[in-house]
Amino acid sequence: MRGAAVRIENLTKIYPDGTRALNGVSFSVAPGEFLIIIGLSGSGKSTLMRCINRLVDPTSGKIFVDEVEVTALPPDGLRRVRRQIGMIFQQFNLVKRSPVITNVLSGRLGYVPPAWSLYNYFPRSLREQAVAHLATVGIPEKAHTRADQLSGGQQQRVGIARALMQDPKLILADEPVASLDPATSHSVLRYVEELNRRDGITVMCSLHFLSLARRYGTRLIALKAGEIAFEGLPAEIDEQRFKEIFGEEAVEVEIA
Amino acid sequence: MGTNTETPTPRAPEVPRPGAGALRVILWLIFVGVIYVYGWQVTQINLGELGRKAYLIKPLANDLIRPDLIERRPRLQVADAGIGLDGAAAPAPLETRGPGRITLSPTQAAIGARVTVSGEDFAPSRPVDIIWFDQSGVKVQLTKASTDASGRFQAAVTVPNVIGTMHHIMAEVGLEGTTLGPSNALRLTLFRMVETVFLALMGTTMGVVLAVPLSFLGAKNLMARNPIGVFVYYVIRTVFNIARSIEPLILATVFAVWVGIGPFAGVLALGIHSIASLGKLYSEQIESIDPGPIEAITATGASMLQVVRYAVVPQIVPPFIAFTIYRWDINVRMSTVIGFVGGGGLGFLLMQYINLLQWKQAATAVWAITLVVAAMDYLSAVVREKVV
Ligand SMILES: Nc1ncnc2c1ncn2[C@@H]1O[C@H](COP(=O)(O)OP(=O)(O)OP(=O)(O)O)[C@@H](O)[C@H]1O
Ligand SMILES: [Mg+2]
Repeated sequence: MRGAAVRIENLTKIYPDGTRALNGVSFSVAPGEFLIIIGLSGSGKSTLMRCINRLVDPTSGKIFVDEVEVTALPPDGLRRVRRQIGMIFQQFNLVKRSPVITNVLSGRLGYVPPAWSLYNYFPRSLREQAVAHLATVGIPEKAHTRADQLSGGQQQRVGIARALMQDPKLILADEPVASLDPATSHSVLRYVEELNRRDGITVMCSLHFLSLARRYGTRLIALKAGEIAFEGLPAEIDEQRFKEIFGEEAVEVEIA
Repeated sequence: MGTNTETPTPRAPEVPRPGAGALRVILWLIFVGVIYVYGWQVTQINLGELGRKAYLIKPLANDLIRPDLIERRPRLQVADAGIGLDGAAAPAPLETRGPGRITLSPTQAAIGARVTVSGEDFAPSRPVDIIWFDQSGVKVQLTKASTDASGRFQAAVTVPNVIGTMHHIMAEVGLEGTTLGPSNALRLTLFRMVETVFLALMGTTMGVVLAVPLSFLGAKNLMARNPIGVFVYYVIRTVFNIARSIEPLILATVFAVWVGIGPFAGVLALGIHSIASLGKLYSEQIESIDPGPIEAITATGASMLQVVRYAVVPQIVPPFIAFTIYRWDINVRMSTVIGFVGGGGLGFLLMQYINLLQWKQAATAVWAITLVVAAMDYLSAVVREKVV
């Protein structure tokens, strides 16, 4: 399994209300990298992530995933690219009334014949695979629990298992631990790190906390008001540097 | 628009004038008092009448606790012939017991017209009841006659004041001896009871089947993505709001004119009202769903239909079921009275009995209505328990 390469050229997003969320952003991610994106609230981290799988349509600029120009794809091609990109959300975004296993299996929808979905049919092999992914994230016994009966950390692990179900080449994690306590944050991020190291999946992960960013990433990008303010190794950005980029008053909020 | 760079001059806080509050309260009290005094007069409330006129309700109340259920019936020879009112063609005859036959002249008439009834081949020298057999199933005795030695009779009758256009005139020739059995009113009531339940069922089903797809078109979060969608959204919501504000009883009156008096008019009335009410509730439910799972499933590369199946349906089906049971309860109640305006069911029968001053029979229908509503309430409580 080899991770995907991502190349972003001059990406700009202006929302209909006139907000310029991204302004001419360009960078590349090599296969197998663990890229951390940091930035203050409103700096455009989510917008950037969502442009990559086109949950948000960019205003201009190009995005390539393994040399496929995502920004130029028709709906059919877009779905084929999306199914290789797992996404993990801050709010987990599970279907709360459905059992955990259904949530995990839904990660496979891009591959299975649409007619199966009418009957909620998944073959035995996929069901076994789903339980195996739940075992990977440490909660195989929760397969038949309703998703809303899990703790936050457990729900996020279901989110990871759902992404794994896609056999992803790239994982987009948009503040995956922002609603979790520090200990749980580490356990969730360790699972993501393991996927990155073991399977070579490329990871792009936005984080609020500098301490987490320095602990997990192989490379780091800092966004400020929709533009790249820093690009380099996580170790290169210490509190001093962080203050220089974001200003004095940002520090207390952002570093815990 | 210009920009205002001046700082606004601070205004002194308003000091309440003493007594202003009390004056306002007194004015309000006077205003409310006037409204209720006028309301009392305009609705002609007169509590004394309840006591003074109690004798008027007594026979009715007495009959209410003695509904017409069982009757001892003479053994009969029966024959009938159809008669059409207001230009309608005469319907085919219904039932025959025994060898007798009757003919009408004319076979098309109007309320108040004279019709000659002639019969033959009945038992000789027996009494004959000539009966109007109403479209709703109600029977009214028109006159009496008797057969001659060769089993013939002839009588003239007047068309009574009835609703509907397709009726029958029936001759019942009494034989010797009697039989005991369920009364005509009871049998009719049971038949109309079944009709009532199915009326509610078909009306609710029509509502659900059409409201489900329409509610998606009436959900802002799904439709407000392009100008056409916004337009469709406003059209659908407006139609829902207008249709919802028309009472089913009024709709039934309209449909009774359109498709004729009967349960079909009732189904249409309940159906239309249910589409609008359910459609609005369903749409609002769709609007309140969590967009997170929709994004997440979309991001896995699922198709539009798969997104609906896995992210939308699980969020809306349980509340949809709850709304539908609630609407079913309302429709059962409605279906028992919608017959008052020509919509079929028990109400149609009750109305007919009241028009004909047959209080014991009316009592049978009233009890049946109570029974149906209570039974269906119980049923839906059980279903609600299980499903929601
Ligand atoms: N759908 C939208 N419509 C209009 N403006 C939006 C929309 N989504 C985001 N924005 C704006 O775009 C800017 C970037 O938002 P974005 O959500 O990408 O920031 P973020 O870095 O993810 O912030 P946070 O850390 O709070 O999640 C913000 O100013 C935000 O208000
Ligand atoms: Mg964000």
